[in-house]
Amino acid sequence: MCMAVPSLIIAIDRGVATVEAFGSVRTTSLMLLGDEVAVGDYVILGAGGNFAAEKVEPEVAAEALAYLAEVLASGQA
Amino acid sequence: MQPFDSGLAVELQVTGRAVTDVRIHSTRLVQASRMLASRTPAQVTAILPAIYALCGTAQALAGCGAMEAALRLNPSPAHRMARHFLLWVETVTEHAQGILRDWPGLVNEPPDLDPIKPLRPMVTAAKRALYPDGDWARPGGGRLAIDHGALIEQRRLLANLAAHLFDGSPEDWVKDPDSLQAWARRGEGIAARLLHRVERDGLSAFGRATPHLMRAEGPRDLETRLADDDSGDYVAHPDCGGAVFETNALSRQSAQPLIAALIDRHGTGITARLTARLVEIAVALRDMEDLAQDLCDAPRDPAEHHGSGNGLGVEDAARGLLAHRVEIEEGVVNRYQILAPTEWNFHPAGPLFSGLMGAEATPDLKWRAHLLVAALDPCVACTVEVHHA
Repeated sequence: MCMAVPSLIIAIDRGVATVEAFGSVRTTSLMLLGDEVAVGDYVILGAGGNFAAEKVEPEVAAEALAYLAEVLASGQA
Repeated sequence: MQPFDSGLAVELQVTGRAVTDVRIHSTRLVQASRMLASRTPAQVTAILPAIYALCGTAQALAGCGAMEAALRLNPSPAHRMARHFLLWVETVTEHAQGILRDWPGLVNEPPDLDPIKPLRPMVTAAKRALYPDGDWARPGGGRLAIDHGALIEQRRLLANLAAHLFDGSPEDWVKDPDSLQAWARRGEGIAARLLHRVERDGLSAFGRATPHLMRAEGPRDLETRLADDDSGDYVAHPDCGGAVFETNALSRQSAQPLIAALIDRHGTGITARLTARLVEIAVALRDMEDLAQDLCDAPRDPAEHHGSGNGLGVEDAARGLLAHRVEIEEGVVNRYQILAPTEWNFHPAGPLFSGLMGAEATPDLKWRAHLLVAALDPCVACTVEVHHA
């Protein structure tokens, strides 16, 4: 399923963000984002993870991450 | 591989001059919705758009529909129209993103990224224009208070987007296959250029399969099969009496004259599938104009619902039929299931399999397979490998 994993931006360099989620770090392009983002913001990634698709408010990210942690703990992911 | 990364992998086995085996592997998290149990219906519909990336509106509204069916709630026609409008906004923006981001790579062009930036904010803005309190997926209906000025702006932006995609009006090409062909040959816009390349390479019928197109209301046994699906096999590999349906813009728009004529001429191949997405954008924009005339305010359903029951919610997501099923016990969800369109379209024996099995082993077979994957539009990344015996 196309789960949206809120990923925390930990660095930005020339339109490419380094993001972290559940201990994994990857890079993703910010070229498709309509919103300005900064280190400390959360984004969700599009299919394949090459592009950040949307900025996510911190409280929404926290709710989604809590659910996804349950999924991870259950062995469904 | 990171947690929650999921995708599709297609392996083609070539023997001699043809594809002799097609294997489609999925690592999609089709059972993850089980963890929605033990929440209230309102909590579930609030979290759905946050955890499903690409089609959060359809996911939340399918969930809302399932809750309403289970709790025997009957939202007003105003809410139904408003939800229909929101689904169209999401569908148009999802189709447009796929065309602008993914189609250029199929003709060796860079993606057209600038027009994509405002698309996702459009979906958010549409929800705000209809439901200012953010309760657009509340079972029974949220507070519907229409900002008509914002809606006019929305429709203007979407019309501009369509003009960019079509490089003109749909009237230029929607009449019949010959008009489409003439428009494609002019090649003004990525959609036209890809369709022209498909025609030039003789691929209009590539990927055609015996049509098993999904009915608008879904498979007749959908609810029963979901209810009986303790193992989760059905939501991973659905079928109906052994048939695996195709569900997408093609199945929804197959009665439109242009699409019917293309199917008649080329079968359900690449051209019919790609064009169906363009036709659906035009249909959606027309329908949204009509809906916008009739949209009206409606109050929030104030009741907190603590009943029990089972319900099915079905919505047309951009990529096809999306089904949610819920079992509620005294106001708490104790079972939750989701069947997404990608499980039909990328079923190991579904339309992708049928479209590739027996294909000629041309030097560009991998590209052709990617073209068919793009035409079927999965909601996760999809890789293709070709193995020669």
